[in-house]
Amino acid sequence: MSDQTLLKVTDLQRHFPFREVQGLRMVRATVKAVDGISFTVKEGQTLGLVGESGCGKSTTSRLVTRLDEPTAGVIEFGGRDITHLKEHELRDIRRDVQMIFQDPYSSLNPRQTVGAILSTPLRVHGLHQGKEKARVQELLELVGLNPEHINRYPSEFSGGQRQRIGIARALAVEPKLIIADEPVSALDVSIQAQVMNLLAKLRNELGLAFIFVAHDLGVVRHFCDQVAVMYLGKIVEYGDKKKIYEAPEHPYTQALLSAAPDINVARGIAPKERIRLVGDVPSPIDPPSGCRFRTRCWKAQDICAQQEPPLLSATADEATRAFREGGVHLQACHFPEVKTDLVAEVPA
Amino acid sequence: MTATVNTISTQSAEARDAGDVVLDVADLSVAFPTEEGVVKAVSNLTYQARLGRTLAIVGESGSGKSVSSMAVLGLHNPKRTKITGSIKLDGIELVGAPASTFQKIRSTKAAMVFQDPQSSLHPFHKVGKQIAEAYQAHHKVSKQVALKRAVEMLDLVGIPNPQRRANSYPHEFSGGMRQRAMIALGLVNNPKLLIADEPTTALDVTVQAQILDLVNDLQKEFGSAVILITHDLAVVAETADDILVMYAGRGVEKGSAKEVLAQPSHPYTYGLLQSLPSHSEDLEELRAIKGTPPSLLNLPTGCSFHPRCDFKSQVDGDACWTQLPEWRPTPGLSNREIRCHLADPVATLKHDEEAR
Repeated sequence: MSDQTLLKVTDLQRHFPFREVQGLRMVRATVKAVDGISFTVKEGQTLGLVGESGCGKSTTSRLVTRLDEPTAGVIEFGGRDITHLKEHELRDIRRDVQMIFQDPYSSLNPRQTVGAILSTPLRVHGLHQGKEKARVQELLELVGLNPEHINRYPSEFSGGQRQRIGIARALAVEPKLIIADEPVSALDVSIQAQVMNLLAKLRNELGLAFIFVAHDLGVVRHFCDQVAVMYLGKIVEYGDKKKIYEAPEHPYTQALLSAAPDINVARGIAPKERIRLVGDVPSPIDPPSGCRFRTRCWKAQDICAQQEPPLLSATADEATRAFREGGVHLQACHFPEVKTDLVAEVPA
Repeated sequence: MTATVNTISTQSAEARDAGDVVLDVADLSVAFPTEEGVVKAVSNLTYQARLGRTLAIVGESGSGKSVSSMAVLGLHNPKRTKITGSIKLDGIELVGAPASTFQKIRSTKAAMVFQDPQSSLHPFHKVGKQIAEAYQAHHKVSKQVALKRAVEMLDLVGIPNPQRRANSYPHEFSGGMRQRAMIALGLVNNPKLLIADEPTTALDVTVQAQILDLVNDLQKEFGSAVILITHDLAVVAETADDILVMYAGRGVEKGSAKEVLAQPSHPYTYGLLQSLPSHSEDLEELRAIKGTPPSLLNLPTGCSFHPRCDFKSQVDGDACWTQLPEWRPTPGLSNREIRCHLADPVATLKHDEEAR
């Protein structure tokens, strides 16, 4: 793993304007899907984006791949500003940044054979010319499928196998960064582990960087180096996996960890503390003022409604120490507090 | 299909005393004849649900967990489904029962909460009206009384401002609220059995925790039996009393939920637990179960799990290939039954776990 920054996102915003009829009047409003987030991904590193539906994690991945154009902010890939590049200027980026989708059923063209699905990206980018078939077979082998199945259609494969085809398609053009949007959540439990292991193996062998979007906290802990916890279009806590899971500081992260059911309860090792949130996530059309989490937060005070807490280290000391150790840990809360008893302590 | 005799339950005295059996499913098979052959969705399934207890039916897609529960409520098209065996709900035999019987038992004796609350409420009707209608279907009361009951139910499931929310349409509710409304709809006629089919799979994790807590609280209050159908073993660990693990249409392991998850004794249950990533510990590599679940059109001979089983070499002869294992108590464990040929599964699996 090198220290080269591959992707740098600064103050990224995506607002979707829309019009709605209210009574006899037309009202304009915006959905603030992503509202000012910053993060970096280094070569070979994996950043996990977690959060509940509507927190902006999928919009973020669409922006980073430039399937969508940000309203404001800067996206730099490999040192180059790609924020507002035109479609024809994006060709190199399309090769370097690939995506793996959630649904292995709708993300593959049912009328194309596996060979056609996998050779299309090669043709588009003019790779392996004349040796496309050999490359496709190599790709199938890489993801653990039988290279002889090159002429089969997606419908002839199971869900897990289709997801492998989706992975092979992403790898076809030798990308540097892969955005995986819930890549295993549509799969059965016994198949999930197979695909997770495949992704981990490919990451190690090919030195890929990942942005891994998922809602399953166990999957994220297993796969990611760094984790960004999102809530209503903002990153509320960001840091090394170990920090986020074992010493979370932001109340939302704490609640999220605490809400995830834990199999260890059956083994008699329950978490020492449980936090239950009330209510649902507010609408991103009209998010709460100040701290967005305050409407569900048990610590909320007046200041939370007035001032938006910036994403910071808990203390200056912490920041310098973290900087030295290379372990970043930032959170956006007016009243941060470390809690270490939210997940069960599993004896080694 | 080979005739299978199901072992009579060998449950401990404690489990027998735990509550009256509301639902007694015996030797249930559900098959769908299709152009390509007969899909054996459920084969020879036997289980009981008891008052005051939560039974988790766990399995992957195609394991028959939903199909078997839909049979309880008569939700299969009788023309296209072949159901054999016995389903006794509160003493009433439901296999082969006419539609009128199902109409009577639905909602009063058994109700179901589905995975997707968006598609299981009618989008054109107000939430309160839908609940009131379900009440009126079984009680001779005026609209006003039924509506009052609906508001009470919405209050009970923790919907704030129920008087006003009863006048809302489903699309005005959030996912979690809709699921609460579905639960209110399910419980309006005070059924003895609530079947919750993946009730929280479509919900966010903080809302999931709320809904599971609600189901647990309501069960304590109403004392009804709950069948929780899920693929999420962590949810089972936190909510269920009993567990039935299904694979390819058959039960493979049953017992106390906590005991089964803490010490699985069937290779499939063991494999599932081993393959889970954890949010409370770091793992080197996930231990996946190899292969994929079999097609229900063409089930493997013998034990359906044998093509994926790591332990079949430890069974003498070719029993795993040729003989369907019968239910039997797990050697060395009380209140536990499995369908597996392994002579001493507990020791075999323990040895495997230590060897890793």
